[in-house]
Amino acid sequence: MKVKLKRWHGVAVWKWDVEDDVCGICRMAYDACCPDCTMPGDNCPPVWGECNHAFHIHCAMKWLASQAQAGGGAPCPMCRRDFKFKES
Amino acid sequence: MEQKTGGGATAAAAAADDQDFVPELLPLSGDEAAEGGEANAPLQATAAAAVSSQRDSWQPKEKEQGAPTRECMKRLMTDLRAVMRLPLPGIFVALDEQNATLVHGLVVGPDDTPYEGGFFYFILQAPDNYPHAPLKVRLMTTGAGTVRFGPNLYKNGKVCLSILGTWQGPGWLPSMTLSSVLLSIQSLLCDRPYHLEPGFEKPPSDMRDVTNYSDCIRHETLRVAVVDMAQDGPQHRLMPPPLRSVVQDLFITFKEHYEMVCTANLHRDGAAMVDPFGDKRGRFQYAATLERIRQLERTLATS
Repeated sequence: MKVKLKRWHGVAVWKWDVEDDVCGICRMAYDACCPDCTMPGDNCPPVWGECNHAFHIHCAMKWLASQAQAGGGAPCPMCRRDFKFKES
Repeated sequence: MEQKTGGGATAAAAAADDQDFVPELLPLSGDEAAEGGEANAPLQATAAAAVSSQRDSWQPKEKEQGAPTRECMKRLMTDLRAVMRLPLPGIFVALDEQNATLVHGLVVGPDDTPYEGGFFYFILQAPDNYPHAPLKVRLMTTGAGTVRFGPNLYKNGKVCLSILGTWQGPGWLPSMTLSSVLLSIQSLLCDRPYHLEPGFEKPPSDMRDVTNYSDCIRHETLRVAVVDMAQDGPQHRLMPPPLRSVVQDLFITFKEHYEMVCTANLHRDGAAMVDPFGDKRGRFQYAATLERIRQLERTLATS
């Protein structure tokens, strides 16, 4: 039997390549977005620390800011190691 | 010698903290003030007023930064959903009707501890920037500010835990949740609370200190955390009705256990409770407590 393709619709799904499902800070899915954003995607990506723990970038930035305000470095919210962004 | 120093330091720390906390029961009169509703009435005998004035006492220094963030509310809802979906043994929570950032928690004293079967009622508040700052926690089961239930559970309701920022050591992390905080609190209600006092982790030269402390706690648990908590009275103004019924239901469940502990300890009656940290504790009164327990059973059975 011969099939002739007349038309096709490409459908794709995307997801962030993160081990966990939810951000350890806000507990929302990485594939959703942080509580302050409304649209998932490139505007609300995950970031990794050197310890390989990931968070929404906005959540991580807020944690770092709150700790900087208290004077000092921020521990990783998951493992308490000094949180530094991982160079990719 | 060493113990004396340790106890003194603790007492001093507690005294310093007293200024930050109002006693559990505010000097409120009966219900007559409830219908007023005027902002100029400074203290009103409603749960809402008491809660909000207590909340103020939590942070007398730092002014509240307006409203809770969207993140705070969303995250708190996630926390609550998690506790409701996967209830933790011996831990119960209820929402506050007036204030969305307040949560009422009930932690039941775990088996095989001097706290067994006791009802420890906490009010927790999420700060505006939760989860980037710790929950504020207050123990409400304190016999109106007269009983210290452990080295970390002060008479004034302060809960000393490094993760809550109320003690030195590893601090709060934004990955912590309502459940993890309540679990940490539950872990304070342990087998040998004596060892939770900083500097007293090792067995003391006189092992009686450990058992004496547990004996105090066991008695006060029955007297205050069981009978006072299960009895009706003004001390429950703030407790949401769902938690009230949990307390009364569990009281019935545990009643044989309570009676057994009282009966087994009747021989102590009249003797002074010996607190190795020097806190004045009064005398054992298991017979009177047993009588109150039986009375309460009859009341609850007929209601």
